[in-house]
Amino acid sequence: MLCETIVSYLEGEGYICEQAGTVEMGNEKVNLYEYDCMLVDIGLPDGNGLTLVRELKKSHPETGIIIISAKNSLDDKVMGLDLGADDYLTKPFHLSELNSRIKSLLRRRKFDGQKELIVDKIRILPENRQVFVRDELLPVTKKEFDLLLFFISNPGRVLTKESIAEHLWGDFADSSDSFDFVYSHIKNLRRKLLEKTGTDYFRNVYGTGYVFE
Amino acid sequence: MKLQNKINIRFLVVTLLVFAFAGVIFYFALGRMIDHNIKGILKSRKTNVMLYLQHNDPERLVFGSPDHTIFIRKIAKTENYNFISDTLAYDEREKELLPFRKMVFSTEKNNNYFEVTILQSLIESEDMQEIIFFFMVILFFIILLALFFLNRWLSDNAWKPFFQSLSLLKSWKFSENQQVRFDQTGISEFDQLNQILKEMIRKMQTDFTNLKEFTENASHEIQTPLAIIKSKLELLLNDNTLTSLQNKQLHDVFETVTRLAKLNEALLLLSKIENRQFVERIEINFCTLIQARLEYLEELFELKEIELSVKLDVPVIFPIHPLLADILVNNILSNALKHNINHGKIIISSRINEITFSNTGNLLAIEPGKIFKRFVKYSASTESTGLGLAIADEICRSSHLRLSYAYHNYLHCFTLVC
Repeated sequence: MLCETIVSYLEGEGYICEQAGTVEMGNEKVNLYEYDCMLVDIGLPDGNGLTLVRELKKSHPETGIIIISAKNSLDDKVMGLDLGADDYLTKPFHLSELNSRIKSLLRRRKFDGQKELIVDKIRILPENRQVFVRDELLPVTKKEFDLLLFFISNPGRVLTKESIAEHLWGDFADSSDSFDFVYSHIKNLRRKLLEKTGTDYFRNVYGTGYVFE
Repeated sequence: MKLQNKINIRFLVVTLLVFAFAGVIFYFALGRMIDHNIKGILKSRKTNVMLYLQHNDPERLVFGSPDHTIFIRKIAKTENYNFISDTLAYDEREKELLPFRKMVFSTEKNNNYFEVTILQSLIESEDMQEIIFFFMVILFFIILLALFFLNRWLSDNAWKPFFQSLSLLKSWKFSENQQVRFDQTGISEFDQLNQILKEMIRKMQTDFTNLKEFTENASHEIQTPLAIIKSKLELLLNDNTLTSLQNKQLHDVFETVTRLAKLNEALLLLSKIENRQFVERIEINFCTLIQARLEYLEELFELKEIELSVKLDVPVIFPIHPLLADILVNNILSNALKHNINHGKIIISSRINEITFSNTGNLLAIEPGKIFKRFVKYSASTESTGLGLAIADEICRSSHLRLSYAYHNYLHCFTLVC
């Protein structure tokens, strides 16, 4: 179920996805084809997803790996990252968060992190954490930069206040105040971009969140 | 107090009491017996004197015995009398005054009246009484000593299996599969005790394993459906054909599911901590940890315009599981931030083995003692889970730290003591 949802979301993003329901099927696919990125759930019906990570690291070390687990246990996390996984997500996560992690992973893997992100008049250097508008450096705070990158990774999608707050502050996001902070950060970013580009990229979705267009 | 000592002391006290009581009774009984004996002697001598008086001519009587114990004198006519009394008399041999028992009686022969005084020395009988008593006391002590050591030896032997079990249990560290091996003692009570202990330990271990498995399974089984609900909702929220009212309602559901997931996570974390599943410990400098956290949250403070004053010059280092240290600092800071007022203050200061977090905020609506209880919230309006401080408290308890709360100078103060 979750797998299907993820696939339909990612296909909407333009990725080509293949699914495997078990470790066995996963092994087969990993050995037959080459992928840019693999999402592995640790709790698979016929075994531990970490064995797949081990297998993939042997056959195709250049493939990016993101582990998904319901077990928020440190051991799994440490072991997964030790085995060579690039990222670790705990269920339940926001699809937008997953998407942004995949994008940043692919960016790092494929272009050694040196790729520029260009959206309309905005140019972003993720590695240097810099934003340019028409070759002019736009001063943004750390959190504003994270926010912008998060939005640019999920263009045209409704990003809920919750997922934005969680992306920015992690565990601290559980306070209702953090939504005010999200609001205030977006307000600032929106103003800065509007001043420089003359375009309002953000659209407010009533009661839900924001869309970057 | 040790079991052995307790038994011995009681035993000694009781025996001493019995012996003392018996000694007193014995002493008086001995006295009475000697008294009786002396009375008998006096009586028999009286009979002898009477016989002597009856059979001899009064004119030719010898008035007194050679050993100065019988005196007879002539007296005027008198009533018959007979009395016994104690007296001191000068003893020729010993050349000193010694205690005697004196019997004085009158007798008559052919209208001649005599008064007879018989003296019986008490010195021998008193000496005898003392010697007998002295030997009895010595005997008592020997018996007492013998009983004491016998008792000790017996109880040492009898309790040996008990102490063996005790030391076994002492050296036993709780873990999922370490068994405790009790030897057969041959004493049915101790065998029963060991059997019960063994069963209890096994029950404890299976309970622990079950609970651990349950928390892990529950985590997985609940988080996965929640993840599905959440992601489906996220997809739905991106559906452009929805009206804004539908969108709002969907978002409400989304919000609630998010909260439910957080609550589930927090409860699972709590039970994991309670189960002591975080055993690994490394030395953590709380001051650097707090500094790092504060930097991360800088903007949250700025947005609420909270004045932050940090004095973490004294390093506070304590061995704790790194994840727990992280959660602990997170929860306390998050609490200070969440329940603060706009333009409020947060003061963090460290002393030797102690860090204090003080923050402004509204007055507590609950008793201060209940602040670390689960699902206790400052006000109904907050959307917090009400578990943050409960988790912090549980972490402290499992990591041998102390977390206390106080309210003074209009500040809520949380003090972490190592």
